[in-house]
Amino acid sequence: MYDDERAPRRVVITGLGTVTSIGLGVTAFLDGLRSGRSGVKPITAFDTTGFAHANGCEVDDFDPADWIHRTEPAELGRATQFSIAAARMAVEDAGLTPGDLRERKVLISVGTTDAESRDLDLLVGQQLEHGPEQLDHRVVRRAQAGRLSSGIVRELGLVDVEALTIPTACAAGNYAIGSGFDAIRDGDVEAALCGGADAVCRKTFTGFYRLGTIAPEVCQPFDKDRKGILTGEGAGILLMESLDSARARGARIYAEVLGYGLSCDAHHPVAPDQDGLARCIEVAHANAGVKAEDIDFISAHGTGTHANDVTEAGAIRQVFDNPPPTISIKSMIGHSMGAASALASAACALAITEDFIPPTINHRETDPECGLDCVPNEARPARLNVVQNNALAFAGNNAVLILGRYEEAV
Amino acid sequence: MTTAANHLDIEARDRIKEIICDILEIEPEEMTDTSRFKEDHEADSMGAIEILSQLERVFGTDIDQAELSRMVNLAAVVTVVEEAIAAQSDPAN
Repeated sequence: MYDDERAPRRVVITGLGTVTSIGLGVTAFLDGLRSGRSGVKPITAFDTTGFAHANGCEVDDFDPADWIHRTEPAELGRATQFSIAAARMAVEDAGLTPGDLRERKVLISVGTTDAESRDLDLLVGQQLEHGPEQLDHRVVRRAQAGRLSSGIVRELGLVDVEALTIPTACAAGNYAIGSGFDAIRDGDVEAALCGGADAVCRKTFTGFYRLGTIAPEVCQPFDKDRKGILTGEGAGILLMESLDSARARGARIYAEVLGYGLSCDAHHPVAPDQDGLARCIEVAHANAGVKAEDIDFISAHGTGTHANDVTEAGAIRQVFDNPPPTISIKSMIGHSMGAASALASAACALAITEDFIPPTINHRETDPECGLDCVPNEARPARLNVVQNNALAFAGNNAVLILGRYEEAV
Repeated sequence: MTTAANHLDIEARDRIKEIICDILEIEPEEMTDTSRFKEDHEADSMGAIEILSQLERVFGTDIDQAELSRMVNLAAVVTVVEEAIAAQSDPAN
C-alpha cells in the first residue's frame, strides 16, 4: 500500500515536438496527418547509384540554427540535431521555458535505432578513401548515441537531470516514453522529455534493401499489393509531467498516458512473432487498466512489409474480438526507425485532442489476410477516449503504449 | 542460353560449398548436392540472403532475389550462379 507521499501520480502529455518529413512542428505535423500528406521523395542522404530503387522520407526543410542556439550545430550529428529541435519544440509547445525545467527534476529519454550511424557511414568512407589518420575529428567526437539525450541537456541548460538513450531499435520511442511514464508516476522526476530520433543513413537503407523489404515507390501498409518499407527520419519528443503539476500551472493537456507493455520474445533476428506481440498488447491493457473493447483505434507499427502487416493483424485479432480501426502513419512519413513510435504517439495524442483518426494513405485494396479497417486515404472524424500505439522491433522487442483522453472531473 | 562453357569448374563449386557451409555453420561433409538447406541444415531466410549476397560478391555477379526460392540445395545454387554468370556475359543483357 502507498502512503500519500508515495501514491502513484497520473501522467499527462502537455507538449509535443515533431520533426517529420510531412512538416516541422506540431501544427504542420497535425495538418499533414489530417490531410494525408506523403513525405516520399528520392533519397539524397547518400549516393544511391547501384540500387534499383531508392525512395525515402527525408526531412528536407530543416535548418538546425532555427532550433539550436546554445550549441554549434556542426558539433552535432543529424539525429542529435533532430532530437534537440524536437525537445525545444515540445518545451515551447507546453508553454514552458528552459528556465522552468532547470528548477525541476527532469528525465530525458530518447530512443533510437541508429543513433549517429549516418556519421559512421561518413567516417567509414573517409577511412576507406584516405586512411584512419584522416578521419574528421569533429565527426568522430559527435558520433555518439549518448548525444541524442545529453544534447538536449546541454542545449536547455538542465541541471537536475538524468539522460538516457534507449537503443531498442524500431520500438525505442515507446520504450523511452514508458521510461518517462514510470519515472513521473513513481515521483522520481517532475517532468520528462521522451521520444525518439533517427536520421536516414546508407547502412540501414542497404540492410533493408538486401532483405528485400524496401518498397520501390510508396509504402502501402495493409494493402494486398504492399511491397515493403520506405526508410524515413525525424524526431518526436513528448513533454510529460504529473497531472498535479499540469493542473497547477493551467497547462493544456493533450492526453493522459495510461500505461504500456513490453515483451522481448527474442524469437528471431528479423521475423516478428505473433504470440509475442499479442502478449505485449495484453500486458499494455492490464498495465493501463483498460479492456480490449475500450480501445477506439490502433496506431499500428504497420511497416508495409508482407511479414509485419500480416503478423501484426493476426496478433490484433488474437486479442480483439472486433478490432477497432487500425492505421499506419508510416504510409505518410515512412519508417523513421527509433523516432517512429514516438511520432506515432504524438499522432495519437493529436488524434485524441482534435477528434480524428489519421488515414493510411496509398491504399487501394485491403489484403484479406490483414482484414482490418485501416481508414484508407482519408482521415476520419471520431471522438476518441482510449488509443493504442504499437511498436515492433527486430529481435522481438515489442512496446505497446496506451493513451487516454483527459477530462476534468465535473 | 546456358552452354557447356558456362559450367563452373570444380574449384568454383567447392568455393560455393565452402561459402554456404560457413554461413550455415556446418561441416562440408554434412552437405550433399541435394541435402536441403532449410529442412536438413536449419537455414532461415536471413541465412538464405547471406548466401545470396556472398555469392554475388565472390562471383562478381547479380542474382535476382526471386531466385532465393530455387536456391534450396547445393546443386540448385550452382545452377543459379551459372545462369547469373551466363546472363551477365550475354550481349543481349
